[in-house]
Amino acid sequence: MYKDGAIFSFTVIYTPTEKFAPLAPYIIAIVDDGTSHYLVRIEEFDKTNLVRIGQAVVFSHLDADEKPVYKLA
Amino acid sequence: MRSVSVIGIGETRMGKYPGTLKDMIREAGEKAIRDAGIDKSLLEAIYFGNFNASYWSGQSHMGPLVAETLGLDNLPTIRVEGACATGSLAFRQGLTAVASGLYDVVLVGGAERMTHESTPRITEGLASAADVDLESSVGATFPSLFALAANRYFHEYGNCRDAMAMAAVQNHANAYLNPDAQMHKLITVDIVKNGVPVAYPLTVFDCSLVSDGSAFVVLAASEIADRISGGRIVDVIGSGHAGSSLQISTKNITSFIATTNAAREAYRMAGIKPSDIDLAEVHDCFTITQIINTEDLGFFEKGTGALAVAEGKTARDGLVAINPSGGLKAKGHPIGATGLSQIFEVVTQLRGDAGERQVKNARIGMNHNLGGSAATCVINIFKRRD
Repeated sequence: MYKDGAIFSFTVIYTPTEKFAPLAPYIIAIVDDGTSHYLVRIEEFDKTNLVRIGQAVVFSHLDADEKPVYKLA
Repeated sequence: MRSVSVIGIGETRMGKYPGTLKDMIREAGEKAIRDAGIDKSLLEAIYFGNFNASYWSGQSHMGPLVAETLGLDNLPTIRVEGACATGSLAFRQGLTAVASGLYDVVLVGGAERMTHESTPRITEGLASAADVDLESSVGATFPSLFALAANRYFHEYGNCRDAMAMAAVQNHANAYLNPDAQMHKLITVDIVKNGVPVAYPLTVFDCSLVSDGSAFVVLAASEIADRISGGRIVDVIGSGHAGSSLQISTKNITSFIATTNAAREAYRMAGIKPSDIDLAEVHDCFTITQIINTEDLGFFEKGTGALAVAEGKTARDGLVAINPSGGLKAKGHPIGATGLSQIFEVVTQLRGDAGERQVKNARIGMNHNLGGSAATCVINIFKRRD
């Protein structure tokens, strides 16, 4: 269901809801997998070198709520 | 459909309100009825906008609450919700009801109480206006949806970080002259860029305010407006309402189709073009949103909205005065009341009552209200009587 793709856009969230507070700052991105666009969280990134639009990303895993987490290719 | 006019307006000051939700509604509602100069018994229905009192105040069924608070107990009421476009959506319902001939005179209002809540509760309540299943639960917050738009906009049209900041600076300068505004503080581009980060590239100074506030208008059929009211009448000459997907990730985020479609409907109904607009209250939930919206409304070419701010074209004495009230950024953003607070400003300007922030020769004005993930848009166009 979740395919590898490229970052269409992204942001780094510094002010999260309570549930995501332990993760902050964290990155969300719109992934373009060639057919569709959807929102994912990006983990395992280098905090000193932000991701950029067009960068390749791969599906990593589903989190505890079964939401998609990706990482840089 | 017959012509409809605004015959009365009223609002609270935006910001931390020294009272309850009912107190706010009473103040703004009574001001609007008094301003219209009509007897309350002429009012036939109430259309009321409220986004999230169910969550932030534990209060639902707001329609009868409003009626009772204003001593209009037995009127038919309805609470309308369309995220940040709630207020204008309520206005649109009242407008169509009078235009259709169902009623002659109606009261439209909106209110939100927010400042008593913690930041995480406000963030959570706002995130409920996005797709909770597919986006908020991934970790998206409300500002992050428009931060995604900002970064994509930079990618397509070039980095306009400084001009975004200038939009906030300009809105603060306008609010400085507005007695009802929440913010009376001038800021600089550096202050905006170095503010507490919220969602890159947005800092707290790119974001609209958390506000308490309420605003009301009285609408009447134009054919009877003169006869029943105090004569300070502004006509509604166009209105548009459009939607798009709840998910932000599946749509174009550098141009919002709900805005372009609602604008087309409103301009066509009014029989005017964008260059005929003298002033516009444009939805600036975030600085980037204002820039994208001013392009979608046809004021500036795609990709040049930021440059227009930098060149002063959106200033009170510019090509088209954008957010002379201070906007959501500095007047305030009490969600369910915001659209009506925008309409309050447009009517005030067209009446020539805006004091130090008066736009010269204001003849035609617009309010543009965008809901949630740019998924609901309502636009209204108003004209003063010559």
